[in-house]
Amino acid sequence: MSDPVLRRLPKAALGALIARLGQTHTVRGPRVRDGAIVFGEVEAAEDLPRGWTDAQGPGRYRLEREGEAVFEGYVVGPDSPKRAHFPAREVLYTAERRADGKVGFAPVEATPGRTAWLGVRACDLAAERVRGAVFEAGGEPRPAARGREDLRVAVSCTKPGELCFCASTGTGPRAGEGADLVLTEREDDFLIEAPSEAGKAVLADLPVEPAEEGAEAWLDAAMEAAEGAMGRAVEMDGLPEKLLGRLDHPRWDEVAERCLACGNCTSVCPTCFCSTTESPVAISATGIGTVEGGAVEVGAGEAAQVRLWDSCFTEEHAYMHGGTLRPTVKARYRQWLTHKVGSWVAQFGTSGCVGCGRCIAWCPVGIDLTEEIAALREGEGELALPVLREAPLEDEDLVPSVAEVVGVRRESADVVTLRVKSERLAGFGPGQFTQLSLPGVGEAPISISGEEAGAIEHTIRGVGAVTKALCALEEGDELGVRGPYGRGWPMEALEGAPVVVVAGGIGLAPLRDALRKMVGSPASYPEVHLVYGARTPDDVLYAQEMLGWLGGPHFRLHVTVDRAAPSWRGHIGVVTRLLDEESVPEGARAILCGPEIMMRFTVEALGKLGVPDERIWVTMERHMECATGTCGRCQLGPYFVCRDGPVFRFDQVRALFGQEGF
Amino acid sequence: MGAGSEGSASGAGAKVRLGVFKLASCDGCQLQLLSCEDELLALTEHVEIVSFAEATSRPDDGGPLDLTLVEGSVSTEAQREHLQEVRARSRFLVTIGACATAGGIQALRNGRDVGELLRVVYAQPAYVDTLAESTPVADHVPVDFSLRGCPIDKGQLLELIGALLAGRKPAIRDESVCMECKRSGQVCVMVAKGEACLGPVTHAGCGALCPTFGRGCYGCFGPKEGAQVAALGARFEAEGMDAETRRRRFKLFTGWAPAFREESER
Repeated sequence: MSDPVLRRLPKAALGALIARLGQTHTVRGPRVRDGAIVFGEVEAAEDLPRGWTDAQGPGRYRLEREGEAVFEGYVVGPDSPKRAHFPAREVLYTAERRADGKVGFAPVEATPGRTAWLGVRACDLAAERVRGAVFEAGGEPRPAARGREDLRVAVSCTKPGELCFCASTGTGPRAGEGADLVLTEREDDFLIEAPSEAGKAVLADLPVEPAEEGAEAWLDAAMEAAEGAMGRAVEMDGLPEKLLGRLDHPRWDEVAERCLACGNCTSVCPTCFCSTTESPVAISATGIGTVEGGAVEVGAGEAAQVRLWDSCFTEEHAYMHGGTLRPTVKARYRQWLTHKVGSWVAQFGTSGCVGCGRCIAWCPVGIDLTEEIAALREGEGELALPVLREAPLEDEDLVPSVAEVVGVRRESADVVTLRVKSERLAGFGPGQFTQLSLPGVGEAPISISGEEAGAIEHTIRGVGAVTKALCALEEGDELGVRGPYGRGWPMEALEGAPVVVVAGGIGLAPLRDALRKMVGSPASYPEVHLVYGARTPDDVLYAQEMLGWLGGPHFRLHVTVDRAAPSWRGHIGVVTRLLDEESVPEGARAILCGPEIMMRFTVEALGKLGVPDERIWVTMERHMECATGTCGRCQLGPYFVCRDGPVFRFDQVRALFGQEGF
Repeated sequence: MGAGSEGSASGAGAKVRLGVFKLASCDGCQLQLLSCEDELLALTEHVEIVSFAEATSRPDDGGPLDLTLVEGSVSTEAQREHLQEVRARSRFLVTIGACATAGGIQALRNGRDVGELLRVVYAQPAYVDTLAESTPVADHVPVDFSLRGCPIDKGQLLELIGALLAGRKPAIRDESVCMECKRSGQVCVMVAKGEACLGPVTHAGCGALCPTFGRGCYGCFGPKEGAQVAALGARFEAEGMDAETRRRRFKLFTGWAPAFREESER
């Protein structure tokens, strides 16, 4: 700590502290409301819950009268500063789509709250750092911006609660990092220290005096005693590998019997960050979303992009074209726990658990994650997956840029290629994707299928509301674009060896740009085989273009369809039937895109033909919304498909490939 | 910014033809449409009311409907026939409310001797024409979407109509009431007060109305997807509730919904 000098603040001076904080900030601190201690506005010392204690147990929280302490009688309640920095519901931008097909987007800025948080605990400070790491990695500045001018007047816990285990997670009980002032409550006074410059400035105006000799030693002893007095303990060591290696542990079935999948744990967790977005249109000028600190006015006919707290316990969280990846409670609980105390470490360099115990208290049926972890530690199996995460994204704007449709080409009955002019998308790589949006309809991740005459092409199959609306666009219309996003095809790793490209259906679209580059550079890519399966001959994409590629001696085309009229002279059946020594030459590398089931059989067939996992790349598809790794939805074990993929080398994902719920 | 509903399902200029019909119900759900006071005028720019007995005395032209809202359960043979006719002329049929979606409070009679009930309740049972069971609309005709609740939520109704006009998926989330309760910052009444609350197994949409006023949810929106009803019932009993009270908890406005029914019979 920068200033180890301890001072004494008489209890009677608490009002002076609150008044001093109130000169520059809105003071929010513990308040009794509806049977719990939550954060609320504090104007005087009398507002604080002096003489209250919280009796907490799994699924149980009761306030009782006991003692005279101001802070020490209780620990954390269901609320945390997360709500202020990462609101439960916020408008990211407003948007309009006019009758002439033009669109507009107006960002809603996050304004600093200037809140002085009185009585936050070490776990709350740790949680803010964890959230900071999450949003920083995704280049999402709003949560940090909201807290930038806040003050944090923390309390070190000398009396941890029944459900506390911050000593196990290394995040408490002593508050310091991230705090501007730290209080430790004693019977007659507080010890106070100021780790930050802002805290020192406040301290200078308070009636403090130097702490007595031995106060330092008293504090150390009190903290050590507190560490030993935690009601819960967890062995965190090795959890990422152990949990990922025990996906078939019987405990998951057992906890799934009790779990309600209601989302209370994730909602009270100070680090859970999963969110979703909605794109409502105001029918009348009544406004849509309310952001803490002011409502956003939305005019009639205008749209808004609203972000709201979601949970991995909802069905919709892992929803992909027609079904959810996690229909069972078991799969959802397993996703939550393997992420929270497991894969979080690979993603953000820290565990997602700060040991506050909120998820235990506020679970309506009292599921105790410390018990679940202990049970899961009893077992066999460990799995370590490589960390793929690269540098944080920089100021990744979630507000789309306006782009113009400069051409529309119909590829088949339900597939259209949109040609889009957009500077934002310049410099994309083959296999990357964008987020295309229409105000009031929504946003969808779409792969880039190439560039021609300065226009970036997206080949889209109209299946849902958004993709159907995109397919209906006409030349001259506008839409929103974000991107380019994700890790594309490994063009360098493919050089010099025969390349087998295996595509199923619309899966040819993300491969098209890579194919064009390879066909155009025979020196780098001496032998290219495209093995392509479509539903019917009419569904074959880019037929004319592919015929053109056949002119080069280094390109071979193998096509099969699921069904066809008798006049079809080509193959009928699955793509794997086209994989043989001829289409998969010795030393080949393979890149795959198609339905997961197709890729699974393809990988198997390639393996039999001598292509190892390390020379196969696949594109994974999961529910993506933000595309920046901050909405939490497209997780595949430790990976975010939007950031670490969508293209993965197969050996990196084999262990999770086809695994239920991942 | 400009107004308009470009890209709407109705196409440029054409209004969405709306029909509102009722079966066995109290009219409370369809009245929610009339409660949309601030939005009603704006709505009429996009919507043509073809049939809505509570709102207009203009005769129904009998033509096809783009959007049909059906309130109430099927309780008589005449209602069943009426429902078939309505379905036949409807493009997008939405059930509104607990009766239409789950059979309603009148489904309490299901599984009992309806003749005996008639004799006990009515002075002249011979005048009453009723089916043995009160059943949800989806038991009789295909349903395109359901709005839950007793009554339905005005905001959800507007969201549904707005989404249809814009040609997008309605943002009506099949999640627990807890999600809404927590987003709005309420303190859990079950954990902090020991109230028996059906929120964890109940479909969201009411804005966690009851918990906001300090009482437990009684499940009027019916079960959410994958409702873990037995696990919640077990918790109620572990907290001291007797089995009969637990059963009755799940036997209210949406008690005939399979997940709740199972728990009320367990």
